[in-house]
Amino acid sequence: MEKIFAWLDRRLIPVMTRLSEQRHLRAVRDGIIATIPLIIVGSFFLIIAFPPVPALAAAVKPYTAQILMPFRLTMGLMALYAAHSIGYHLARSYKLDGVAGGVLALAAFLLTSLPVDIEGKGLALPMENLGGGGMFVAILMAIVAVEILRFAKEKKLTIRMPEGVPDSVARSFEALIPAGVIIPLVWAVRHLAGFDIQHAVTQLFAPLVTAGNTLAGVLAPILLISLLWSAGIHGDSVVGTVARPMWLVLLDQNIAAAAAGQPIPNIAPEPFFQWFVFIGGSGATLGLVCLMALSQSPYLRGVGRAAFLPGVCNINEPVIFGAPVMLNPLLFVPFVAGPALMGVITWFAMHLGLVTKPYILVPWTLPAPIGAYLATGGDWRAIVLAAVNILIATVLYYPFLKAYERKLLKEQEDTP
Amino acid sequence: MKILLVCSGGMSTAIVVKAIEQQAAKTGRALAVSSVGAGEFPAAVKGGWDIALVAPQVRHRLAEFQAAAAEAGVPVALIPPQGYSPLGGAVILAEVDKLLN
Repeated sequence: MEKIFAWLDRRLIPVMTRLSEQRHLRAVRDGIIATIPLIIVGSFFLIIAFPPVPALAAAVKPYTAQILMPFRLTMGLMALYAAHSIGYHLARSYKLDGVAGGVLALAAFLLTSLPVDIEGKGLALPMENLGGGGMFVAILMAIVAVEILRFAKEKKLTIRMPEGVPDSVARSFEALIPAGVIIPLVWAVRHLAGFDIQHAVTQLFAPLVTAGNTLAGVLAPILLISLLWSAGIHGDSVVGTVARPMWLVLLDQNIAAAAAGQPIPNIAPEPFFQWFVFIGGSGATLGLVCLMALSQSPYLRGVGRAAFLPGVCNINEPVIFGAPVMLNPLLFVPFVAGPALMGVITWFAMHLGLVTKPYILVPWTLPAPIGAYLATGGDWRAIVLAAVNILIATVLYYPFLKAYERKLLKEQEDTP
Repeated sequence: MKILLVCSGGMSTAIVVKAIEQQAAKTGRALAVSSVGAGEFPAAVKGGWDIALVAPQVRHRLAEFQAAAAEAGVPVALIPPQGYSPLGGAVILAEVDKLLN
């Protein structure tokens, strides 16, 4: 056990944290997180348009198209928002003007699209490339645009204003030369040479997205997140830095299918982990907290009770650092094995069609059964699955917690 | 004394803020404690704090927080894991006193 923790500390954590703190990945993470409120609120309109109660569903049916508009213009344009906000964050990380970075990233991204001429209506931009499907393109173009901005600034390729010109005016000219490079560059590649950047990038990342849906693709992030948290490192924020763009593409495909009334294709967008695996927080600690609240050890009981309500809201730092679970050899096994087992069960339940695959992003602080119900568009079987998973985690934690409890009680006796 | 706490989303530190406030009330100390998520930290740290405390689960981002706090002239410290719980107020305040004195 000591060897495992030493390995975590010396090998896994440095690699993972360096990855998650890499400048571009960090900008992608912060940029995408900024779009989450739009995705959550936007996708709620999907529940309104297709309510889980048949009578309600029939009543709103004539208005489906109107109800879906907020969804289409938020979630449906996810990559557009992401391009700007990734550009902003990346520029800020270089101490460049954030808005200039955002605007240039947005322009570079939009230039990869081909407007379509619609008779009598003028030019229209096809929305499909601006949603989740265009996420990887948005990331790429934001990085290209801001790197050009940075290069121009470093090489002093900027138009300098004479003294006395207000700062804000001078700053607006700083982006002029980078814009003069970025726009013709993307235009030449996409519109003169006819190279379909959207198609190429989507093809490039297609295997990754497919892999994310497999049983192994589900277990890998679960194990990594659990291992990092067992050493007290915020696993989901580290792993999410890399995995979230892929999870969003999976979510986008699911939500598009739901809006079109087709079967949901993907098992593993983020709500899969949120509502069926990491119930009560990473390590599926809700069951552990309940057991602790009833413990014979006054210390565990105290922490368990204090950590119960946060646990219901999927916040589990109190139990991870309080019990502690962190670097605790007695709780390590259920902390890592529990979520993995729940992941396997949930994957099969969804693969076999026993439970609807999740397609709605709801705020992560909801209690798991409610979150599971909403995330699956109102499937009551999701509540059952979440409850079964909580039970499994609890049973698995029980013998290990008992052993830990005995150790604590003995220590208490030994210290007068 | 003004203390700023930072974690990933500002959620779990909110619990620890309460623990510190309770401990301060018990000992009759005047404290202003607040918590933010990592994304808001660079802006928030400029608010005239005496010390900024980093949650253990984001300790791998310490360098990033230190850089932001250095600009604002605020000292930064890691919260010891055993203090990061609803019952850890005393541990954290002891650590703060040790650092500032």
